[in-house]
Amino acid sequence: MSHWLEWFVQWTAKFGLNYSFLLDAYQRGSMVNGALTTILLCLFTIIGSLLAGVALAAMLTSGKAYLAKPARVFIEVTRNTPTLVQLYCAFLVLNMLLTQAVGTANPLTPFAWVVIVISLHKGAFHAEALRAGIEAVPVVTLEAASSLAFSSRQLLWNVQLPLAMRFALPSLINNLIDLVKMTAVASAIAVGDITYASIMIWTQSDNVLELMIVLLAFFGLLSFVVNCVGRALEAKLRMPGYGH
Amino acid sequence: MAIDSSASLPLSWPRRHPGKLVLLAALALLLIFGAPKSPVFAALYEWSPALAVGFGQNILISLLAIAIGSLLGLLIGALAVSPLWITRLPARIWVQVFRNAPWLVLIYFTTYVFPFELHIGKSWIAFPDWVKVTIGLALPASANVAEIFRGAIGSIPSTQWEASRSLAFTRGQIFRSIILPQCFKRMLPPWMNLYAVITMGTALASLVGVHDLIDTAQIASNTVNLTGFTVLIYFSVLALFFAYCYPISRITQFLERRYAFS
Repeated sequence: MSHWLEWFVQWTAKFGLNYSFLLDAYQRGSMVNGALTTILLCLFTIIGSLLAGVALAAMLTSGKAYLAKPARVFIEVTRNTPTLVQLYCAFLVLNMLLTQAVGTANPLTPFAWVVIVISLHKGAFHAEALRAGIEAVPVVTLEAASSLAFSSRQLLWNVQLPLAMRFALPSLINNLIDLVKMTAVASAIAVGDITYASIMIWTQSDNVLELMIVLLAFFGLLSFVVNCVGRALEAKLRMPGYGH
Repeated sequence: MAIDSSASLPLSWPRRHPGKLVLLAALALLLIFGAPKSPVFAALYEWSPALAVGFGQNILISLLAIAIGSLLGLLIGALAVSPLWITRLPARIWVQVFRNAPWLVLIYFTTYVFPFELHIGKSWIAFPDWVKVTIGLALPASANVAEIFRGAIGSIPSTQWEASRSLAFTRGQIFRSIILPQCFKRMLPPWMNLYAVITMGTALASLVGVHDLIDTAQIASNTVNLTGFTVLIYFSVLALFFAYCYPISRITQFLERRYAFS
């Protein structure tokens, strides 16, 4: 392992790139930890955002004004304000109020706040895509289902959502790729993700360009993985005669 | 359903939403007359010029970024639709790289990799951080504009190409007098959407030390150091961004509906 790293450092040195931080056990460790944190952050937020998206879409299409109106307001506010400001509103304001209320027993770490904020933020975008999918379900299908005595919850869960999923999948995958890129914002509130680890290293070693290449490659790889999973899912879920 | 409401006689906005209007008026009255009594609102009033200057910086960055991004993006989009692969390939790479990189990483990139001063002729010219952030936002903007441009050209039915070619138009003439005039109309809604997204992206400028709205809010909240003021100022920042971006997104939706069937 270390043999290969040394060879890599010497090879890149020929191009004037300084990757010597890879040989330092502490800096390499913090980089690997950062990468793992980012991957974990992505996994949690992907699940959280999908749950939030389904909940918001269900509220939007429920046909009840007291559910649809708040969901609509929430989505419009979320879509038209920067994520960073939302993160600050949550972490610096709500977290401060929570700490004042319960003292140091505050259970929410910065990591948890990032997961909550990005989940809700991307959930709003998922909800718009899913709403379009739910509304695209033919009325005849709904009538057939309700004539079979489906309750409105069963209707949503067993008829509308499976069809809406297929309809909305391309834009959901697009949102998820955006989500992966958005997790870089976590470094703003000192969550030790890969961006934060890189900032810590380049403030010491002054090798910004080298770390930038690593960061771009890492996020490119993550987006690529999400894209491939999405394509595979699309192919697997394809129904003849529906969508596309 | 939605069709019913649009089919009925259109009412003007104030008559359709009397409740919202009353609520807005009450809020405005509370802010004007009820505010100065509490120290929190007095502090906000005191800091509001600084906040306005900060937000002006955000808007300046966003306007410059979309201007540079659009010019660059149209150029790259033009390369991307050219029939020669030698010009297509670099354009594809540019678009792929800058669309798939996180904006924050690009902003760090331009801030730390570019020099602090530029050496032009014999004089050194300062290269301020906010210009670097503008370039950092213009790069992904250009990639997105290129994609919007390519998409708009691709959305013109190929029968129009064939028809105009059969009328002996050259490729340049087809572009100038048939394809491009239709493209600009189709590009406008996504382009405005991109502008709103870039405006929201300018919030990231505070992370590299530009004195923008969020930076001012942080300084204010640390200086005043009141719990109520911290709550108020961060939600004011949220409200300011919302007030700027929401109308843009409404106009975008309106234009999308209007151009949908033409």
